[in-house]
Amino acid sequence: MQSMMRASPAAVALGQTMQKRPVTSNAEDPAQILVKQRLNRPVSPHLTIYRPQIGWIGSSLHRISGVALSGSLYLWATAYLASPALGWHLESASMVAAMGALPLAAKVFLKATLALPFTYHSFNGLRHLMWDLGRGLSNNVIIKSGWTVVGLSVTSALALAFL
Amino acid sequence: MASFARPSLLRQTLATTRSPLLRQNVGVSQVVAFHASARKQILPPLPQSIEGTMNDPVPVPSPHPMEGSYHWTFERAVCVGLIPLSIAPFAAGSLNPVMDAILCSLLVAHSHIGFQAAIIDYFRPQRVPKFYSLCNWLLRAFTLTTAVGLYEFETNDVGVTEALRRIWNA
Repeated sequence: MQSMMRASPAAVALGQTMQKRPVTSNAEDPAQILVKQRLNRPVSPHLTIYRPQIGWIGSSLHRISGVALSGSLYLWATAYLASPALGWHLESASMVAAMGALPLAAKVFLKATLALPFTYHSFNGLRHLMWDLGRGLSNNVIIKSGWTVVGLSVTSALALAFL
Repeated sequence: MASFARPSLLRQTLATTRSPLLRQNVGVSQVVAFHASARKQILPPLPQSIEGTMNDPVPVPSPHPMEGSYHWTFERAVCVGLIPLSIAPFAAGSLNPVMDAILCSLLVAHSHIGFQAAIIDYFRPQRVPKFYSLCNWLLRAFTLTTAVGLYEFETNDVGVTEALRRIWNA
């Protein structure tokens, strides 16, 4: 205060009497702070923060059913290729015989397990192709078509299972 | 009723109808606990690194004729081709060998593209470059064995649609 009083107005205006407070700044590398901060981010897939809705659940099921179907095809075809070397019997005659030997409930269950991913992926695939043409992209239509696909695929899968 | 009396009256009504939880003096720690949802880490974050400086934009991948628009069109063409080929067996019982072979080829192409999309979504090359390329090479190997296996089945057995028909009727 004393020094302020004594200082000339010009010195005050030029900031020559400004108080200085020496502070040691954080010497940490800013890039490292960002790196540490990134580790605190929620990691995708962070599914629990979303409300279950037909849009994203249906989309996930599309990929899951596709991977399940293609995975079965890949495993079976590769096993068929390797079967002579491994002594397995994956030709149609023995698969038919194995299926015929199962009790009815097991047959229906197995058929439903195979048919549901197929029908769902097929009907939902048509929905995707419709979207690719730029149609049916409003929220309302997406919800309706999503539930339509669920209904159609469950019905047709049950029909196929009891065929 | 005088208008100045209303706010205080309203406040009293609110105070009596509020839930007991809200009437408690909620501390800062409780607020924090309320806002921070439980962490469900399916994949823990890998060690992070910054390419260049902090302010560099995300690099844009260079265009490639096999990616982007042509890839998208090819993908859709395969999907559209699969529609009649998957309806026909239900109408005709099973497919003739040529149609069956076309169905198998399209299925292999469709599966390969689908698996590629799944791999690039979940094992991003920026995040796990080695695992990404391992997955892609595994996929290529499996696509090859699948294609050869299906060729063997088509030439030595009854064909995929006919086999499925027989299994379904067994």
